[in-house]
Amino acid sequence: MKYSNWLLIATVVGICAGMTASAADVKVIANQSVGASSVSADELKGVFLATKTSLSDGSHVEPVLAKGGPAHEAFIKDYLGKTDAALQTYYRSLVFTGKASMPKAAGTDAEIIAYVAKTKGAIGYVSASASADGVKTLEVK
Amino acid sequence: MKVKIIVLAAALSLAPSLMHGQFDFKLADRTIQVHSFASQGFASTNDNNYLTIKTTDGSFAMTDGGVNASVALTEKLRVGAQVYVRNFGRMGNWHPQVDWAYADYRFKDWFGVRGGKVKTALGLFNDTQDNDSLHTFALLPQSDYPTDLRDATIAHLGGDVYGNIEMKRLGSMAYTVYAGRRRDTKYGGYTLMVQDRGINIDTYGGLQYGADLKWSTPVKNLLIGGSHMAEDVLGSGFTVCKQAQVSVNCVVWTAKTNGNYQERSRRDYINFGYAEYTLGNLRLDYEMRRYWRDQMVWNDMIEVRADTRGSYISAAYRVSKRLELGSYYSRFTCKYQSGVKPPSYDTSLPGNHIYDTVMTARVDLARFWNVKLEYHMMNGYGTNQSPAGFYATDNPAGYQPKTGLALIRTGWYF
Repeated sequence: MKYSNWLLIATVVGICAGMTASAADVKVIANQSVGASSVSADELKGVFLATKTSLSDGSHVEPVLAKGGPAHEAFIKDYLGKTDAALQTYYRSLVFTGKASMPKAAGTDAEIIAYVAKTKGAIGYVSASASADGVKTLEVK
Repeated sequence: MKVKIIVLAAALSLAPSLMHGQFDFKLADRTIQVHSFASQGFASTNDNNYLTIKTTDGSFAMTDGGVNASVALTEKLRVGAQVYVRNFGRMGNWHPQVDWAYADYRFKDWFGVRGGKVKTALGLFNDTQDNDSLHTFALLPQSDYPTDLRDATIAHLGGDVYGNIEMKRLGSMAYTVYAGRRRDTKYGGYTLMVQDRGINIDTYGGLQYGADLKWSTPVKNLLIGGSHMAEDVLGSGFTVCKQAQVSVNCVVWTAKTNGNYQERSRRDYINFGYAEYTLGNLRLDYEMRRYWRDQMVWNDMIEVRADTRGSYISAAYRVSKRLELGSYYSRFTCKYQSGVKPPSYDTSLPGNHIYDTVMTARVDLARFWNVKLEYHMMNGYGTNQSPAGFYATDNPAGYQPKTGLALIRTGWYF
């Protein structure tokens, strides 16, 4: 194949990669009461799908979801394996069988950070570029 | 009744504009969440009335709804309750019932207990079958989730032990083990079926116990599972042979029982096997169900043995934020080994099977409001042994071998 064709392909791939957010564009934050400084992907999935209520260090956690946005779409796709519609359906199935309550949801990074900062055990996710004042950032292993 | 349905439908259609999602309020420093749901359907068939609804005339008699409240009292303890009401043709009759009401204590993520009236974990969708907004389809595959036999499996008054076990590279396993008592309403399909045979059931229920295992496999988004439920039920009532639509020698047996009627389990159980796979906006489901019925009826004079099997495969694809398309193929067969009727093993007979091909379009008009357009092409009517949607009282002239069913169903949740 000609060099120019490879360059064209690489350019297209690069543009496409830049158009969608990924887990790398998201950071996980938690209330200062949460003892852990890191969390595994499996733990994260369990917490946000309501199958886990605590992290491996024993810290009780309660998830807060974003209502939408690129960070939300990236987080639920990469860590939960669900679309937003599927996630909402999943939570409603728990609510209407009594197995869980609807988690708190917030509209912007600032609202999520403010809620996580003031709520014991809260854990959420925001854009990687968002300021994390008042909360701790958890490394995802 | 028609006015009631139309007014309810109109009121519910206005509700989404007034509602803003869930309703929370504080009580003694605890947040109580309140949620509700409702649906209204219209059903029309070209032949055969279906699900006790006068579908050959077109009917709106397909309404249900529920409201629940729940609160986390501590980090580990939750309590809540839900009330449900439905009117599907002659089923439900607008009688509200406690759908579930229980306390849930989660000791660990891998071990929790629930006590009270608890929805029964059976297959993928038994415990959520009533909630229209949770499903692509207006009517779940009736081979596995017969809405006219909802009472038989929907909930038990007892307790569950449950949990989620992480298995590292093997994924995770969610388990539920339960035991309790079931108490059927007088407005379910089985009660109506035996009425066709001259029997009026006063009470029906008994012990149910079982387990469900859901394995989230290491293959991303592949879930595999299985369920088993056994029961030891007792039904009692009396006979009124002149009401019988189906000839089962009611008069002969009544003469021996003095008009009293009882039936009981010898060995009844239901098994489920299932798998679900999602890939982006595509979801694939497969389930198979076997109901083995071994009961003594007519006051221990007759043993009924029947092997009822159901299965389906479905696909649903979310085309856009507003539109989801789906289809399923469902198979229901029954081999009748013994009982009040002659044995019948030939599942090619229309009385021993229902094969249903379905196409659905679900439109999410708003976040809390959807409309579904669905068409069923049914082959067979499966009336030989157990209720399968077609009843003699509703089809006095007999059954046509094929039924086309058009459904429009709209649902809301808050």
